[in-house]
Amino acid sequence: MDAHIKKVYIPMTETGFYILLCLQEEMHGYSIVQKVEALTGGEIRLSPGTMYGSLSKMEKDGLIGFVREEEKRKIYRITELGREVLNLEMARIERLYRNLKEVQS
Amino acid sequence: MSNRKIKLAFFTIAEWEREQEWLMKQHRAGWELRNATLPCFYTFEKCKPEDVVYQLDYNKDGLEHKSEYIQMFRDCGWEYITDMAGYSYFRKPVSEMNEKEEIFCDEDSRIDMLERVFRGRMIPCIAIFFLIIIPQLFMQAVWNDVTHHVLFGVYVILLVMYVVMFIKFGLQYMQLKRRMGR
Repeated sequence: MDAHIKKVYIPMTETGFYILLCLQEEMHGYSIVQKVEALTGGEIRLSPGTMYGSLSKMEKDGLIGFVREEEKRKIYRITELGREVLNLEMARIERLYRNLKEVQS
Repeated sequence: MSNRKIKLAFFTIAEWEREQEWLMKQHRAGWELRNATLPCFYTFEKCKPEDVVYQLDYNKDGLEHKSEYIQMFRDCGWEYITDMAGYSYFRKPVSEMNEKEEIFCDEDSRIDMLERVFRGRMIPCIAIFFLIIIPQLFMQAVWNDVTHHVLFGVYVILLVMYVVMFIKFGLQYMQLKRRMGR
């Protein structure tokens, strides 16, 4: 993983994190929006400008790959590089959560 | 009374927030945006007065893949209206929102848009500024007749307009960065 990817994606924005999390399965942008809304109990509603910008940036950086198009909707899937970034981020969040519990108890 | 009207309005490159508010105000007064054409003509059509949020995006990649781009917004309930000079215009009635909604949901993506505007619009302006306006100013100043005095005046006005635009853009950038706490 090169320095640019690290600098831009770690730590990640919530939007970026949820996109990678969802794209472990093939999905298009709007289905990510719906899934995140369901996962967070409506607390996070991703907006289309943010989604379109993030998806095309992540595709350009090779974190996700274009699979096919269905009814004018682009379907994506996470790449190897995307998975590496997601794993780093998950480890970071797990550490945060562990520390939170340790300090609070 | 005609149910169409054309309005002239001028917004500099970094003023899309002001432009959005202006369009919202028009709709609240019963005029919905139909079309926007360069340099500053806005066509409105009479409509039911309503609170409608207007939003501008600047995304070259989106314009190149227009049908997928518009579909993404449509899925989220945003109507595509038109585009002008690389900006795309969207709107959504407040009555269809649960809470305040915009086309960007985090500061990172707002900064990303600002940077796309910078690359697409500001860099050409900076080039014009240094390659045309500044050299012309000096060239016109050398001659001592009416034509060149007038031209000199024109370039002075252009210089001031460009400087104001650069400052406004810089201020907006700083404001966004500050909001992000970086």
